[in-house]
Amino acid sequence: MGWLRRLFHKRLVEKRMDAELRFHLEQRVRDYVASGMNREEALRRANLAFGGLEQIKQDCREARTENRVEDFLRDFQYAMRGLAKDRRFALIAVFTLALGIGATTVMFSVIYNVVFDPVPYRDFQRSIVFEMRDLTSTGDKGGRDHYTIPEFLAIREQNHVLEDIVGNYQLDVLYADGKGTRRFLGGYATANGFDFLGVPPILGRFFSPDDGRPGSPLVFMMNYRLWQREFNGDPKILGETFFLNGKPRTLVGIMPQRFNGYGSDLWLPTDLSLGADGTSFPVKDPPVIWALARLKKGVSLQAAASDLDAIMHRLAQANPGELYPQQFKLVTRTLLDFVVGDFKNTLYVLLAAVFLLLLIACSNVGNLLLARATVREREIAVRASIGASRGRLIRQLLVESFVLAAVACVAGCLFAYVGLKGLVAIIPRGPIPEETVIGLNSVVLLFALAIAVLTTLICGLAPALHVARGNLQLSMTGSGKGTGGGLRHGRLRSGLVIAEVALSIMLLTGAGLMMRSFFTLTHLDLGFNPEHMLYAQVAPAADERYDTPVKKKLFFEQVLGRVKALPSVLTATVSLDLPPLGGAGSEITVLDKPQSQHRESMVDLCGEAYFQTLSLRLLRGGVLSETDIDSARHVAVVNQAFARAYFGSENPLGQKIKFNIFDELPETPHNAYFQIIGVVTDFRNRGLLEPPSPEAFLPYTITGFGDRVILARTAVDPKSLLASVQREIWAVDSNAAVTRSGSIKDLLAEEAYVRPQFGLIAIGVFAGIGLALVLIGIFSVMAYNVALQTHEIGVRMALGAQRGNVLKMVLWRGLRLISMGILMGVLTSLGLTRFLASQLSGVSPTDPLTFCAVTTVFLAVGLLASLLPARRAAGINPLVALRYE
Amino acid sequence: MEQEKTELLKGTLDMLILKVVAFGPIHGYAISQRIQQISRDFFQVPEGSLYPGLYRLEDRGWLQAKWEDTETGREAKFYSLTRAGRKRLSTEMVNWERLSEAVALILRAAE
Repeated sequence: MGWLRRLFHKRLVEKRMDAELRFHLEQRVRDYVASGMNREEALRRANLAFGGLEQIKQDCREARTENRVEDFLRDFQYAMRGLAKDRRFALIAVFTLALGIGATTVMFSVIYNVVFDPVPYRDFQRSIVFEMRDLTSTGDKGGRDHYTIPEFLAIREQNHVLEDIVGNYQLDVLYADGKGTRRFLGGYATANGFDFLGVPPILGRFFSPDDGRPGSPLVFMMNYRLWQREFNGDPKILGETFFLNGKPRTLVGIMPQRFNGYGSDLWLPTDLSLGADGTSFPVKDPPVIWALARLKKGVSLQAAASDLDAIMHRLAQANPGELYPQQFKLVTRTLLDFVVGDFKNTLYVLLAAVFLLLLIACSNVGNLLLARATVREREIAVRASIGASRGRLIRQLLVESFVLAAVACVAGCLFAYVGLKGLVAIIPRGPIPEETVIGLNSVVLLFALAIAVLTTLICGLAPALHVARGNLQLSMTGSGKGTGGGLRHGRLRSGLVIAEVALSIMLLTGAGLMMRSFFTLTHLDLGFNPEHMLYAQVAPAADERYDTPVKKKLFFEQVLGRVKALPSVLTATVSLDLPPLGGAGSEITVLDKPQSQHRESMVDLCGEAYFQTLSLRLLRGGVLSETDIDSARHVAVVNQAFARAYFGSENPLGQKIKFNIFDELPETPHNAYFQIIGVVTDFRNRGLLEPPSPEAFLPYTITGFGDRVILARTAVDPKSLLASVQREIWAVDSNAAVTRSGSIKDLLAEEAYVRPQFGLIAIGVFAGIGLALVLIGIFSVMAYNVALQTHEIGVRMALGAQRGNVLKMVLWRGLRLISMGILMGVLTSLGLTRFLASQLSGVSPTDPLTFCAVTTVFLAVGLLASLLPARRAAGINPLVALRYE
Repeated sequence: MEQEKTELLKGTLDMLILKVVAFGPIHGYAISQRIQQISRDFFQVPEGSLYPGLYRLEDRGWLQAKWEDTETGREAKFYSLTRAGRKRLSTEMVNWERLSEAVALILRAAE
C-alpha cells in the first residue's frame, strides 16, 4: 500500500521526484563534459534531450495510483461544491432519486424475504409437496393432497426420487390440567419430521427415530406460541409430564419462535399405525396424511412427479374404488410454491411497477442534470480547452451524479425503512409463511447500493456523454442560451419527458385497472346479503354425549334457542359451510335417470332458518320446515343452478336424488334418496369469482358427522355479539369448542379482498408518486424552455405578438410533448397489461374506461404543469427581456 | 544521428528496464546508459518514457526504490527488483521469445 503512504506525503514525493530528475540531468551534463564538451554546450544539449521537464513530471504523477485516487477525490470535492452551490437542484434530485430507490428497495425486500428466504428450513428449495389431480372433474378443484397410510408407506418405500419424506396429520389434542380441559391443535408427524426441516429446538431435543414406536416412552414437543401463551415461556416445564388425550406424555422439546412447521400447537411423534394414541378415524384407511418430501439432488419436479405417479397408479389398479378417480395424475409443487403460490405474481407485478417508478425518477434527474449541463456548457468547454480529456470530463460529471445517488441511497433506505413498515401492515398474512420476517437486511441494503450505482449510470451517463460530445467551439462562442446547444439538449430533454409520461401512463393504467377490478370484486352481487351476518364454527366435545345425530341435534337446538334469544339477533341457523367460500361436494344419482351423465352437486346441511338468514328467495315449492328438521326427513331444497343443470325444463319438485358420498361415510344415511321439495335463488357458493354451482340443502339432522357453523343475521355489528354467542354456546356445554368466529363481511375481506387490496394500495402509491414526479418533470422542462426563450419571446412581443399568442404557444408545446407521451404510453400499456391479467377479476386488461380515465387525468395534469411556465412566458416584459441579454 | 535511432517497440521498454534492474540496484540515469550500451547504441531511451515507466513499474509493485549514495557521494534513487518484478520479468521474457520466434517464422516463410 505504498500509494496510500505517498498520498499523505505528497510534498516529499514531489521533492524526491524533482531531485531524481535533476540528478539525471546533472549526470548527463557531467558525461557530456567528460567527453570534451564545454559546460555551456553540455547544459544546453542535456536540457534539449530532456524535453519538457514539467511534462515528464506530469506523466510520472499519472503513473501513480495515489494521483488517480486524488483526481477522484478532487472530482468528488468539485461535485460537492457544485451541488452545494445549486442547492435547490440538489435537493430535488436527491429527493426524486430517494423516492425511486426507496420504493424499489421496499419491493425488493418484500420479494427477497417472501420468495427467496421465507422460511428457515434446511434445503427448502428441494422440499416439495404433491397432489393427485382428478382429470375427470371440471375446474381445478378435483383431487386430493392427502393420502392414506398405505399410500404414504408405498410412496416412502417405492420411490426413486426422494431423499426423505415426512408424513403428518392434524388432530385436536385435549389437554387436562386438573382445572379444565383445553383443546390444542396437535400435529402428528413421523419422527424424522424435525430433522427434515433442520431447525434446532430452543430447549430440549427433537424426536429420535424411536419416538412414536409402540412401547417407547410417550413424548411431545411444543410450539413457541403455545409455550408463551399458556405457560408464560416457563423453561421449567421442559421434561414435565402432561396429560394429553388422557395419557401422560413428557415434553422433550420447545421449538423457536421462527418455526411453524406442520402448523400446530403441539407435535407428537407417530409411526403411522392407526389406532395408536387413541387416534381413530371414521373409515378404514382415510386419506388424512399430508406429505412433505425432499427431492434427491438433481431430480426435477417433473421426474419426481412421474415416478410418484407410477406408484399411485399401481395402487389405484390394485385397489379400485372411490379413493381413486378414473383418470388422475400426480402433480408436484415446491413447498415455496405451495405456500406463497399466486401471491408471487402480485409481488412481481409490483416489482415491475416500482421499476417503472425508478425509471421515471431517473429520467427526471437526468433531465435536471441536462439542464444543469447546458448552463455549464461554457465552463466545461473551458476545462476541455485547457487540457482536460474527454474521459476526465465524463468521469467528473458521473462523479457528480454518483454523489447525488449516494446521498439519495441513504435517504432512500430511510424511506424504505418507513415504507416497509407501512407495507407490512397491509400485506396479507395468508400467503406468507408465519416464519417469514420482512425487513431490511444486508442483502437488501446491498441491493439498494447496486440500484444507486445503476441510477448513476442511467441518469448520469447520457447527459455526460452528451455534453462531452458537444462542439466546444460553439459553446465557447455561443451565449450558452437560446441557440445551438440549447436546441440540441432540448430534443433530448423533450424525449426524456415523453418517456416519463409514457412510463407514468403505464403505471397509472395498471393502478386504474386494479382499482376497477377491486371495485368490481367488492360490489359483486353475491346472491345473498353478507351484511350483519355472524358465524361461529362449533365443535361439540368428542365424547359419548354427542355420539348420535339426535344427541347432536339436541345440543344445537339448545344453542340456537339461546343465540336467537340474544337481543339484536334477528334469526339464526345451523349449516355446514361458510357462504360463499364453498364446501363439500358429491357425485349424485337421480332416481329413474340414466347414470351415464356425470352429475355433481355441493351439499350443505342446514336448519330451517337457513334460507331466511341468507335472504334467499324461494322460486318453487317450499323450504325446509321445522318438522323436516326434527324428524330428519329425507328431503332437499336445491338452488336454481341445480335445477337448470340436471332438470332443464322439467319440474324438479318431487324428483329423488342420492348423494353418493354418503354411501362412503359411516355416519351418513346409506343408499338414501332425497326428495326435492323446493328451489331457491342462486348465491355464489364456490368463492366470489366462480359462478354459482349446483347445490342441495338437506336437514342437518340426517347425520351427526362433522362440525357445524352457527349463522346469525344481526341488527348490529356482528362482532359486538361474538362474546355473547360464545357465552351462550358454553352455557350449553363448556367443553364445546368455538374453532372460528367472526362476521361474514370480515371473512370476505380476509379471504377475498386482502390480496387485491394490498396490490391496489401498493401500486396506487407507486403510481401516485410517479405522477407527482412527472408533474415536476414536465414543469421543470417547460419552465426551463421558457427561461431559454426569454430573449426570443421578448423579440416576438416587441414585434407585436399578444400575450395570448405566447401563452398558447407555450401551452401548445407542452401539450405536444404530453400527447406524444400519452400515445406511446397507451400503446405500450395495451401490449403490457395482459401481464396484469392474473391480478384482475371482472375487468379486461384493455378496459376502455380505464384507459380513457388515465388519458384524461394525464392531459389535465400536463396542462396544469405547463400552465405556470406559460403564464410566466406571457408575463415577460419585452424591454427587460431584450436588455437582459 | 541520434534521432534516427530505432524507437522502442511499445511495451518492450518495461521488459528492458526490468532486465537491466535485475542485475542489481541501479539509478535511472544508469538504466538509460546501460540500455544504450548493451544494445550498442541501438536503443536510445528518452527521459520522457523512462521516468513515467519507472514510476509505473514501481506503482505496480515490480520495482522498489531506495535513496542511496552513488560512488561519487551524490544521493540518487536506486531501483531494484521485487519478487513480483522478478516473476513478471520471466513471463515477459517467455512471451517475448515466443513472439520473436513467431515473427521469425513468418519472415522466413515469406522469403
